[in-house]
Amino acid sequence: MKSSILVLPVLLLGAVLLSLMIGQVVLSPLQLWTGLWSGTGPGALTLRVLRGPATFTAAGAGAVLGAAGTIFQILLRNPLAAPDVMGFMSGAGLAVVAGVAFGISLPLPLLSAAGGLTAAVAVALLSVRRGAVMQSSLTLILVGIGVSFLASAASSFLITRMPPQEAADAQRWLVGSLAARSWQHAAQVCGLGALLLLVLALQVRALKVLELGDELAAGLGLRPGRARNGLIGTGVLLAAAGVAVAGPVPFVAMMAGPLGMRIAKVTAPGARLCAAAMTGAVVTILADVVARSIVPGVQLPVGVMTGIMGAPYLLWLLSKEAEAGEL
Amino acid sequence: MKLHLGLLMVLAVAAALTVFVGVRAAGLADVSNALLAFDAADPAQVVIRSVRLPRLVAGLIAGAGLGMAGTVMQAVTRNPLADPGLLGVNAGAAFAVVVGALVTGYSDGGMIAVLTFPGAAMAAIAVFLLGGARHGTAGPVRLTLAGVALNALLLSLISAIILTRSDVLDAFRFWATGSLSQANARPLGLMSVSLVLGGGIAFLAAPRLEALALGSALARGLGSRPGRVQMTALAAITLMTGSAVAVAGPVAFLGLIVPPLSRRLAGHVLRRELLVSAMLGAAILLLADTAGRLTMPPGEIRVGIMTALIGAPAFILMVRRLKPGAFA
Amino acid sequence: MTHTGLATDRLSLAYGDRIVIRDLTLQVPERRVTSILGPNGCGKSTLLKALARLIVPTGGEVKLSGKTLGAIDTRALARQLAILPQSPRAPDGITVADLVRRGRTPWRGFLAPWSEDDGRICAQALEQVGLQEMVDRPIDELSGGQRQRAWIALVLAQDTRYLLLDEPTTWLDLAHQLEVLSLLRQCNRDHGTTVVAVLHDLNLAARFSDHLILLGADGLVASGAPDEVVTEDRLRQAFGLDALVVPDPVTGRPLVVPR
Repeated sequence: MKSSILVLPVLLLGAVLLSLMIGQVVLSPLQLWTGLWSGTGPGALTLRVLRGPATFTAAGAGAVLGAAGTIFQILLRNPLAAPDVMGFMSGAGLAVVAGVAFGISLPLPLLSAAGGLTAAVAVALLSVRRGAVMQSSLTLILVGIGVSFLASAASSFLITRMPPQEAADAQRWLVGSLAARSWQHAAQVCGLGALLLLVLALQVRALKVLELGDELAAGLGLRPGRARNGLIGTGVLLAAAGVAVAGPVPFVAMMAGPLGMRIAKVTAPGARLCAAAMTGAVVTILADVVARSIVPGVQLPVGVMTGIMGAPYLLWLLSKEAEAGEL
Repeated sequence: MKLHLGLLMVLAVAAALTVFVGVRAAGLADVSNALLAFDAADPAQVVIRSVRLPRLVAGLIAGAGLGMAGTVMQAVTRNPLADPGLLGVNAGAAFAVVVGALVTGYSDGGMIAVLTFPGAAMAAIAVFLLGGARHGTAGPVRLTLAGVALNALLLSLISAIILTRSDVLDAFRFWATGSLSQANARPLGLMSVSLVLGGGIAFLAAPRLEALALGSALARGLGSRPGRVQMTALAAITLMTGSAVAVAGPVAFLGLIVPPLSRRLAGHVLRRELLVSAMLGAAILLLADTAGRLTMPPGEIRVGIMTALIGAPAFILMVRRLKPGAFA
Repeated sequence: MTHTGLATDRLSLAYGDRIVIRDLTLQVPERRVTSILGPNGCGKSTLLKALARLIVPTGGEVKLSGKTLGAIDTRALARQLAILPQSPRAPDGITVADLVRRGRTPWRGFLAPWSEDDGRICAQALEQVGLQEMVDRPIDELSGGQRQRAWIALVLAQDTRYLLLDEPTTWLDLAHQLEVLSLLRQCNRDHGTTVVAVLHDLNLAARFSDHLILLGADGLVASGAPDEVVTEDRLRQAFGLDALVVPDPVTGRPLVVPR
C-alpha cells in the first residue's frame, strides 16, 4: 500500500478556494486574487470580512476535531470512539452555555476545556464496573453516549432560561455553527490548535507504543497509565478548542480519522493524525460551503450538514463491523 | 389489584397537579365550573378549558403511548436500551410531519395525524433492519448505535428544514423537541382513538409477543409465526408512538425508563406490564411536565428536556447493567 | 541468596482478590532458557508478569542484579528486560518493519531521531527471525508463525539481556511451535540472552529448556533441570496427571506419555 498523503493538502487547498468562491455571490479565483492584493473590490470584502474568517475558522476547528477523534480511535481501537460520540464535546458545549447563562466571564476556550475534561472524567468513572478487570471500549462508548444525552439535555434546560434572542443564538451554536466568525475566532482556534498539535506530536511516540497494548508498552519502558492520561488530556483539549469557536459540531471528529486514513493510505499513528487533521478541515469547510449555499438566502448551521453526512457513515460503519463480527 | 389502585392514585395526583397548578393556581370551583358550567367570561375557567385540560389529555396519550411502546419494544427485542425516542422512531414520525408541512404548506392537526404513523413505521422498520434484526443479531449495543445514528440523521434533517422555512414551520418549533405546550392545537380526539387501537393490539397479541421474545426458533416451536407476530408488534408500536408524537412531539427516554419500572412492579407478564406501563408513563410524563412548568414561571421547560434530564442518567445506569455478553 | 540475575524473594502475587503465588523464592539461571510450567490458573502468567514488573507484588519482591525491580527506572528496566505478552494485537495495517522499529523505544531519547544503530539492530532482529524479505508486508497478511516471529523480532530489537515470553506458542501448529522455540534457543546460544517463557506443552518445554519451573495449585512444585523436574511424582503433584515419563527417542530429554 503506497501512501498518498499529498492528496490531502491538495484537497484542503481546493476546499479553501471553493469556500472563498461560493456563497450568495460567486466569485472567480481572479477576483479573489485581485481582492487579496489590491484590498478593494468584492474580492477583498469577501476575503477579509465575509468568507475568509469563516473558512479559516472551519479549517482550524475541523483540524483539531479530526486529530482529537483519531487519538481516541487509536487508544480505544474502535472507530466509534470519538469525542463527539462519547459526550466530551457536548460537555464542552454545556460548559459554554452554562457560562453564558450564569454570566461567568471566562474565555470560551477555558470554559469548553473545563466542560470537556469534566465529561471525560465522568465517562471514565461511570464506566468502571465492579468485577471487570478492564472496561470494554464499548462500555465507555455507550456511557459516553449517555453523558452526551445528559449534557445536551442540560444545555437545552439552560437555554430555556435565557432571553429569546440569546436563546436562539445559543441553540444555533449548540448545533455547531460558523456564522459570523471573525479573524479572532480563526486566530484563536488555529493558534491553540497549533500549540496542542505540537504537544500531540511529542506524544506520538508514546501513542505508537501504547497501540501495541498496555503490557508490551510497559515492557518497552512506558508508563501506560500516565501516557494514556496525557493523550486523553490532549485529545479532550483539542476537541474543546474546536468547540470554543464552532460549537459541538457533530461527527467531524468521528469521520475524519478513518476517512483520512483511506484517502492518504497511511497506517502509522503520526501519519494518521496528520491525515485526520487535514481531512477534518476539508470535511468541515465543505460542510459549511454546502450549509450556506444549499438553500438560497438561508445560512444553515454547519452542524446540520455534518449531522446529515455523519449519520449515514455511522450506519455504514455499523453494518461493516457487524459483517466483520466485531460488534 | 392493590398495585393498580396505587398507580391510579399516583396518576390522579399527577393529573390534578396538571390541572390545578400553573402560573395561576386554579381552585376546585374553577375546575368544576369549567367542566360542568363553563363560563367563557371567566379567565380562570378559560385557561383550564383551553389550556390545561388539553394538556392533561395530551400528557395522558403521550405518556401511555410511549410507556407501552417502550415496553413492547423492549419485550420483543429483549433489549433494555430500546426506546422509541432513542431508536429514532419518534424522530421518524416528527420528520414525516415536518416534511409534509414543508411540501404542502399545511401545519394543522390533520396533517400531523396523517403523517406521524407512516413516519414512525418507516423509522421503526429502518432501525430494526439497520440494527441487524433480520439476521437475528440485534444485540443491544448494535441496535442502540443504529438508533443513535438514525436519530441524529433525522433530527439534523428536521432542524435543517425548520431553520430554513421558519414561516411555515413556526408551529412546530416547540413540538419538534417534545412539548405539551400547544396541546390544544393537536388532534387529541383522533389520537386517543389510535392509541387505544394500538394498545388493544398489543394487549391482544401479548402472549405471542412473549413467545417471540424467547427467540424465533422457540417461538415457532410454541406455535406462533414470528414474521406475523413481528408485524403485529410493529403495528402496535407504530400506532402508540405515532399517537404520542402527534400530540407531544418526539419525547425521548420515557419508553426507556418506564418498562424496567413496570417490570419490577408487575412481574414478567406482558399484559400486566402494559397496563402498568400506560399508567406509569402517563403519570411520569405529567409530573415531569408540571415540574417543567414550575421550575421557572412564567416560562416553562419543555417536557422533552425534563424526560431527558431524568432519562440520560437512567440510560447510563442501564448500560452499566448490561451483561458482558451484550457486547459480544 | 545470590545477587546476580533475575530472582524472586518471598514473592506473593494476587490476581484481583485471589492469591495465586505465596512466598515464592527462586532464581532464574543466567544465560539459560527457562520455562514456567503448570496447570491452568496456577499463576504462571502472573509470575511472568511480576518478573517483568507488569504487576506489583502483594508481598516480597523481584530482584534484578540485587536491586528491587520497583526501584529501577522504567526505561532502564526496559533496556535490560523485554516481555512479549500473550497474543498481542497488532494495530490495523501496520507493516513488519514498523512493528519491529517500535522495539527501539527504550533506547531512543525524548526527541532523538532514528539512528543508524537503531536501524542496524532492527535489521539484525529481522534477519534472526528470518523475516528480512517481508519488512514491508502488513502484519495481517502474514501466517500465524510469521506473525509470531515478527513480534519476537520486536522484543529482539529491544536488545535486552532478558527476554520474557508469555505462551509464545499458543495458537500455532506443531511445526510453527518448533520454529519459534528453536528461534528462542538460537537467540540464547548466539547472544547469551536469558530466556524465560511460559509454556503449555510439557514435552516441548522439556525439549527446549535448560531449566524448568513447575508450579502447582499450591505454589512451587519443583525447579531445576528437565530430568529432575519432569518426573511421574511431580506431574501427579502439579497436574493430578497419571503419566509415564520416558526418554525422548530423539533428544533423550524426558517425554510425558499420559496413561
